[in-house]
Amino acid sequence: MRSLISELVRNRELIWALALKELRVRYKRSALGFLWALLNPLLMMLILTAVFSTLMRVQIDHYSIFLLSVLLPWTLFSQSLAYGVESIVGNGELLKKIYIAKSVFPTAAVLSNVINFFFSLIPLIILMPLMRFPFHWTWIYLPVPLLGLVLFALGCSFFLAMANVFFRDVAHILQVILSAWFYVSPIIYSLDFVPARYRFFFRLNPMLYLLNGFRLAIYYGLLPSLQSAVASLGCGVLGLVLGYSIFRRYQDTLVFYV
Amino acid sequence: MSRGRATSRPARLRFENVVQRFRIIRERPDTIREVFARVFRHSSHYHDFEALKGVSFEIFDGEMVGIVGRNGSGKSTTLKIIAGVYRPTSGAVKVSGKVAALIELGAGFHPDLTGRENIVLNGLMIGLSKREIRAREERILDFAELGEFIDSPIKQYSSGMILRLGFSIAMEVDPDILLVDEILAVGDAAFQQKCLARIDEFRRRKTIVYVSHSAASVRELCTRALLLHEGTLVADGSPDLVLAEYSELLQHAVVS
Repeated sequence: MRSLISELVRNRELIWALALKELRVRYKRSALGFLWALLNPLLMMLILTAVFSTLMRVQIDHYSIFLLSVLLPWTLFSQSLAYGVESIVGNGELLKKIYIAKSVFPTAAVLSNVINFFFSLIPLIILMPLMRFPFHWTWIYLPVPLLGLVLFALGCSFFLAMANVFFRDVAHILQVILSAWFYVSPIIYSLDFVPARYRFFFRLNPMLYLLNGFRLAIYYGLLPSLQSAVASLGCGVLGLVLGYSIFRRYQDTLVFYV
Repeated sequence: MSRGRATSRPARLRFENVVQRFRIIRERPDTIREVFARVFRHSSHYHDFEALKGVSFEIFDGEMVGIVGRNGSGKSTTLKIIAGVYRPTSGAVKVSGKVAALIELGAGFHPDLTGRENIVLNGLMIGLSKREIRAREERILDFAELGEFIDSPIKQYSSGMILRLGFSIAMEVDPDILLVDEILAVGDAAFQQKCLARIDEFRRRKTIVYVSHSAASVRELCTRALLLHEGTLVADGSPDLVLAEYSELLQHAVVS
């Protein structure tokens, strides 16, 4: 793990440049350009709010804020994985030609989505006063769940990027897993909506702990319990250690398979 | 393969019994379904191929070493090991100092970014810091002769322009070891002269490893040559000597 940190620190300028390149290329040819980073979550929120709040009459006060408070971090997570899984295979030709530390690519994929996440907070910040929803002081707690989520996303990306080198099915399976994961995680609903006898299964989902802090701080204006904070950071660190140890094991041979 | 060189200075580059083995899989299972199919059929569809079978040599500062050999003799594999792209299966490789490769010029350029943006990205990839790149940007632009194209996306460049830009960036790394693969095909005659002058100046101070099929250029440029044949080092010495052995080997191959 220490080798990963020193590798990332040594290549920090390259990682930053690759993340910015990723964003620039993502939005370059579209007429609205970077505005899509702001519009995407808003449109997604409108659709989900229309379905769950209006059509299905879910009784939650200020449903759009309730939803956005975890939809934005979820998008950070799912997009990080979607970009991360392709990050080594997509740069395969490059890796066969010049030596670059392999860990740079999944990290840049996650970082570009972290930058995107900060931009996607803008519509939320505009929406809240419009809906006369208060800004709670607990916003200052957000770096903690963000750290847990980013570490977890990084670990998953390391694992997926490597797995995709050896089995190209991984990228396809990931899409299915992510959409299933979206519905079994408390994003469009909260854990209270789940019948008590099923809650045990929902508690096995690390996303529950990783997203919990966001909704508490933004929507409820509460700080999570110490256990909950530790659970979120613990999931993040554990995910990173597991994902990276697999990545590290195969990083010297992957150049023969990309 | 020691050449009995009476020297106390340490080698800039040392290969010790380096073996590079590739697993050649006739049809690599890319998907999980194929893996299952393979497991159930209990068949193994691969064989191991040794691109280098225990190669040892040392290269010192001030040398320009030409590596010659037929296709598939292990020349490119050797360069890729020096560059760090491949990690050898066994044996020891010691490289001291910075390595720059004039092998895949323009590898890592992104077609949607401008020349200027690519200088930064490519410079970072080959190990320069942002500050170093900024300090050298003018020199790179000067040398590459791109004119006003420098702020256009690279996909609008001609292949010659991309090679010129790649060459200019690689030379600015100020490496201790320069890897060159058939460099002399970069750009038009005037630019080739410029590149050769640059390499010539570099050669006096540092180390160059040069892979080529052209015996004439090895004889003209190199101070020493290595001959690789089917993954083993069969000759190491003055270019004239090694090239004579190479042409003998080629004749042999034509006859058989």
